[in-house]
Amino acid sequence: MKDKKNLTTEINPEIRDILIEMGAEDIYKCYQCGKCTSVCPWFQVEIYDYPVFKFSLETALGVVASSEDKKELDKEIELIYRCVGCEACLEQCPHGISTPNILRAARRLLVDFDSYPETLKSTVQKTHNVGNPFGEHRENRADWAKGLNVLDYQQGMEFLYFPCCLPAYETRNQKVAQATVGVLQKCEVSFGILGVKETCCGEVIRRIGAEDIFKEVAKANIKEFKDSGVKEVLVTSPHCFTTFKNEYPDFGADFEVLHTTQYFSHLIDTGKLKLNKNFDKKVVYHDPCTLGRKNNIYEEPRNILKNIPGLELLEVENFNRSLSLCCGAGSGGLWLEWEKDERIVNVRLKQLTDTGADIIAVACPYCLQMFEETLKSMDVNIKVMDISEIIFECL
Amino acid sequence: MDLIVCIKRVPQTAEADVTIDSTGKDIEKDRLSFDMNESDSYALEEAVILKEKFGGTITVISLGYQDTEDTLRIALAKGADNAIRIKAEDFNELDGYKTAQILKSSISDLDYDLIFTGCIATDDAYSQVGVTLAELLNVPHASLVIYIDASEKRAHVHRELEGGLMEHLDISLPALCTIQTGINEPRYASLIAIRRAAKKEIKVISKKEIENENLLLNTQIEELFIPPKTKEVEFLTGSPGESAGKLAEIIKEKGLI
Repeated sequence: MKDKKNLTTEINPEIRDILIEMGAEDIYKCYQCGKCTSVCPWFQVEIYDYPVFKFSLETALGVVASSEDKKELDKEIELIYRCVGCEACLEQCPHGISTPNILRAARRLLVDFDSYPETLKSTVQKTHNVGNPFGEHRENRADWAKGLNVLDYQQGMEFLYFPCCLPAYETRNQKVAQATVGVLQKCEVSFGILGVKETCCGEVIRRIGAEDIFKEVAKANIKEFKDSGVKEVLVTSPHCFTTFKNEYPDFGADFEVLHTTQYFSHLIDTGKLKLNKNFDKKVVYHDPCTLGRKNNIYEEPRNILKNIPGLELLEVENFNRSLSLCCGAGSGGLWLEWEKDERIVNVRLKQLTDTGADIIAVACPYCLQMFEETLKSMDVNIKVMDISEIIFECL
Repeated sequence: MDLIVCIKRVPQTAEADVTIDSTGKDIEKDRLSFDMNESDSYALEEAVILKEKFGGTITVISLGYQDTEDTLRIALAKGADNAIRIKAEDFNELDGYKTAQILKSSISDLDYDLIFTGCIATDDAYSQVGVTLAELLNVPHASLVIYIDASEKRAHVHRELEGGLMEHLDISLPALCTIQTGINEPRYASLIAIRRAAKKEIKVISKKEIENENLLLNTQIEELFIPPKTKEVEFLTGSPGESAGKLAEIIKEKGLI
């Protein structure tokens, strides 16, 4: 163990410079106030300390993930992959520092050198190989739409509906895609899907750090959209939303994107979507990080819920809108397993169930998946529904 | 202790939709991810563990195309000292024997106490290169090795056999071991090691530098194909009563009762 400690604390400007080049340019703005740490969802997990504040400093010194001791390095890389990319830290940072981006710079190097968790490696490879992170067959991608009279997208249709991977393949989430289609058909919206030609938006693999494969996926999707004449895309997942809207333009995308909550809120406001049936339930809305903090869509989901007859809308006190707590699934978190008392999702579900709601309303397939899976092991009487499903029940 | 690790860059096909290419002898690889062969990464880690214990150097060697240098660089970041790529583009068709001959010519001038290879490559699954290479180099070998306790002159190794059997061997060095997955936990590369590896030179060997007058190809692929489905799985849906009814119908129809 000679001088191992010294090796880890040696300053390395070369590593700092390459991380800055890979997206960690915010590091010098940090003055170590620690606000990021106090708003990080890991801070809410009682038994776990997650030192968000130190990532900027460690990167500036070039000592991030630099231990030459195998076990120490395992811990350092685990820390880098604990970040769920919820951007609660960015929201509160006095200098607007994006710690997820700083960590993603390190992730990019680690991915290139095959030095990241095996489960995430499998997620990246499956997305690259078969176009979805679950390793499901391409030919089954449109099975969710069987029997629903959903057309293939054709030029001139108003929207391409893009459910993406969880709603395309995962049984519980398929119901969300089906309900969305039901609402669109009821409102006589002209739309189509890409079906088996649809490929993952690639958001998660970019967050994991697989930048090159993300670029390949993004360019292929943009080409497919252009070849199909797509002008406007309607998405179920905020993860597709943020990637299509904020990141695909860097690679030549020129289509518009709408999240279902935006569109359905608009249809309600313009009288085209009429909610006739009562929904006599207490509903608490969980703001997905990627829809709320990252894209400032807070009011449209609430507008929908407020317009549903009989529905009583509840909020999580202190932890709603921009202060909403992540479900833990972002940036690869959906695929990582932590000890039961070390999970962000349990903290969030406690906050949500403590409101006394009958239903947790979500607007993100990742949140739905995390909540449904975790509720199976919790003794609580609460249901999770996507907003599209609630609308569909009230038509 | 000087160690040589032979590695292979392979496509990841475990969870891919695999299709046959136009030659009918290979698969389409355009949309596949490539990686260090799984058991080779355990072989590399075992070498790093021995280097940490005894000192010495690790040389990784691979017969592959240009992109194999990415894989060799990963090996450098994870603890190897030197890397050699033998240009696969200089050779036509390859099989296990020919590959072993080429590797033998490339490493016979190097000093080594132990050579490690993975026990099987996940693409062609021949499991030939390691043991053939040992024969060509005229050194003892142990295959499917799951434990190694080495000293300067000898190594005590455990081989994992079918049926839950374990074989313990004592072999003299220099020797070759084909390494089984699970022997250790392959490590991550630190960012410092990654930067260090980025600057290292990878030695590239072409065919003309290999002194082997007559490279033999003993096996040739005649045809590669996806076998036709012979069994079909049907999921019975509906309530327990309905699906039990459907099951009873199928059993009757097939004359099983």
